[in-house]
Amino acid sequence: MEGGFFGFLETNAIYVVLFIVLAIWFGIFLFMLNTDKKLKEILNELKGKSNEK
Amino acid sequence: MIWKIVLFVLMTFVIIAGIAFPIVPQPSAWYQFPLIPGLEEKAKIIFFHVPTAWLSVIAFLMAMIYGIKYLRHQNLDDDAKSNAALQLGMVFCVLATVTGSIWAKFTWGAFWHWDPRETSIFILLLIYGSLFALRTAVENEDKRARLSAVYSIIAFLTVPFFIFIMPRIMTGLHPGSANDDTSGPVVDFKMNRNMQLVFYISLIAFTILYYWMWSVRYKVLIIKDTLTKKLL
Repeated sequence: MEGGFFGFLETNAIYVVLFIVLAIWFGIFLFMLNTDKKLKEILNELKGKSNEK
Repeated sequence: MIWKIVLFVLMTFVIIAGIAFPIVPQPSAWYQFPLIPGLEEKAKIIFFHVPTAWLSVIAFLMAMIYGIKYLRHQNLDDDAKSNAALQLGMVFCVLATVTGSIWAKFTWGAFWHWDPRETSIFILLLIYGSLFALRTAVENEDKRARLSAVYSIIAFLTVPFFIFIMPRIMTGLHPGSANDDTSGPVVDFKMNRNMQLVFYISLIAFTILYYWMWSVRYKVLIIKDTLTKKLL
């Protein structure tokens, strides 16, 4: 079964490319989500501090 | 948050369809793309290469719009937004050049030919690259913002000519050149409806991704600027 799967990937290398590109896209998406969330927190903190003054 | 989910779904679909959907001479199923003479399997790059070039135009346009806004209101936030658009425009311009160059290697036999399309994007890279040199050379932030705004307005005047006009009126290797009688306008005449649909979804997904990246980038620039002023 395992040999069959790798045999399939050997003859259909485009799926290897697909998995790699999907992995990169998921990584970029998660990175963007995380960064956006952190930036919002920092902006709120900065706004809070300027309001206190 | 909904638009982020929409982006995730659209981009995932574009990646799966753009890479895995087969190209066949006579498409009969909904997931099959037609064979375009002269491009064959390599036509799939259109789902990723064209959107990057498209985004560089959008980014340079936004840089010009925020440059005009800065000149009218003298608000440094507009300069940060213009700068963020310029940076992303440069990134996507480089991506368009690199993806096009890889495609050229497999289609024309070499990475670079000084084809009118390649030459025009190279000149654009030089024009906008020198803008970054200009920005780093000026220390006074108001002067820097003013010069950058004026430069981004003048620089954008060249973009339609280099992206849309020059490569189409000159003879060259790139699909859509003046002497191109095989591929012609690829999007209008050589794609079937399914391929056009994936292509337009790709443009929409990349545009949303660009907007997200731009909003994150200008927030970073504003935070950096605020913290620097507090520390000084």
